Amino acid sequence: MNLSGEFIAFFVLSVMAIGGAVFMINMQRVMHMALALAFTFFSIAGIYLLLNAPFLAVIQVLIYTGAISILMLFGIMLTKHRYEEKSAVARWQGVIGFIGVACFLGVLMWTIYRTPLLSGQGNPKDFGIHQLGAAVFKEYAIPFEVASILLLVALVGAVILAKREENECS
Amino acid sequence: MSLLAILAPVLLLVIVLAFVTYAILFERKVIGWMQNRIGPNRVGPWGMLQTVADVFKLLIKEDVIPEKADRALFKLAPAIAFVPAFAVLAVIPFTETWKFTDFAVGLLYYMAVSSITIIGIMVGGWASNNKYALLGGMRSAAQMISYEIPLVMSVVGIIMTTGSLNLNDIVHSQKHVWFIFPQIIGFLVFLIAAVSELNRTPFDLPEAESELVAGYHVEYTGFRFAFFMLAEYVYVFAMASLTTVLYLGGWNAPFGLTIIPPIIWFILKFLLVVFFLFWLRATMPRIRVDQLMQFAWKVLLPLAIFNIFLTAVLKEVPGIGHFY
Repeated sequence: MNLSGEFIAFFVLSVMAIGGAVFMINMQRVMHMALALAFTFFSIAGIYLLLNAPFLAVIQVLIYTGAISILMLFGIMLTKHRYEEKSAVARWQGVIGFIGVACFLGVLMWTIYRTPLLSGQGNPKDFGIHQLGAAVFKEYAIPFEVASILLLVALVGAVILAKREENECS
Repeated sequence: MSLLAILAPVLLLVIVLAFVTYAILFERKVIGWMQNRIGPNRVGPWGMLQTVADVFKLLIKEDVIPEKADRALFKLAPAIAFVPAFAVLAVIPFTETWKFTDFAVGLLYYMAVSSITIIGIMVGGWASNNKYALLGGMRSAAQMISYEIPLVMSVVGIIMTTGSLNLNDIVHSQKHVWFIFPQIIGFLVFLIAAVSELNRTPFDLPEAESELVAGYHVEYTGFRFAFFMLAEYVYVFAMASLTTVLYLGGWNAPFGLTIIPPIIWFILKFLLVVFFLFWLRATMPRIRVDQLMQFAWKVLLPLAIFNIFLTAVLKEVPGIGHFY
């Protein structure tokens, strides 16, 4: 195995991403969990950057590390911040959980190995943001618009829900 | 080449620290003059060593961590707030040759990385376990998220004109006309949103002394407090550079005065923006908290979207279309 800079960077970023995820599960306080999750999101952005997808990497930081993590922290701040008591987990629950996860991993690996990998390497220059913009706004204009309508509907729904609560209070 | 690649960021850090040291002195002097005072003039000739003394005082102070604070996060928060502030400088082109990267999505990179600082501020406010710090942190996060949207929207006009998110390309396309003239609406929205992102007067609600004691860093002392302050002033450096690059033509010389080197032009425009920020602080009262959000969502955002439409329409008008 040749140790290129890219491989080392990929290794470090993967360890950071997986480490963040493991910490997220094992942390005691919700605030720490949210921060570990933000760290994982950030590491994944680094992996995108390695894959020659700078636009995706920056959007990952902007949306996930920035907006979504801050939203989570905001929610957590408004709730109580005492130590969450760890519920006692029965032994058989752990065993069943392990079997379930192992099955899921098996299915996942099976699917991955069955998928034919595309051979050959694309030239990163052919996939810049210009091409991305052209693809989104010309080829996939209708799915793009439908997705934005979906988001708009969700937004209006959230406003209506918030308004109703306000009316009940007054 | 590799030696230069290591030394250049260190040099930039030194320059930024020197800038912060004298920006603080200059700010106090300018505000002093505007309020008919002298400003700091005791430490060193003309008060030149005032900031150095202040920083030295902060560094030798006792490092207090409140008993009920979340110790790990309390220590981590200043670092989370500061590192992005310095990281955004990587994409700013100072001149044709003095730049670090030629990143294809440099403009978005700036916006994305600078949003990580909000996490640092919120975590700092929360970890202090103090109600004023928490309030300050929440206010700060709400304000910075709200104003980030008009900030990003206001530069869309420039992206449409240039057809690129690369800051070098943006400067190159300002050879003849700076974007401040065709994009005047975008510029005003950008400037207001930028002042708010910097948490400076008139948008300094997160650290409103008269309401919240000091906001999110009320429990911080010594060098941790200095880190928060440093992050704030490094953002002043970054935002003034970004404004220069986006709207004031970067290193391009006006009126064909190319006899003066480009870096001098960059510094002059940059200092103009920095002075504007200090001027604003000396003259404006603080905006009221209930007007703050309304202003972002109901005034700045529609204006920014109007600017996008206007740019798109004017692009097709013969005669002036080539400006857009």
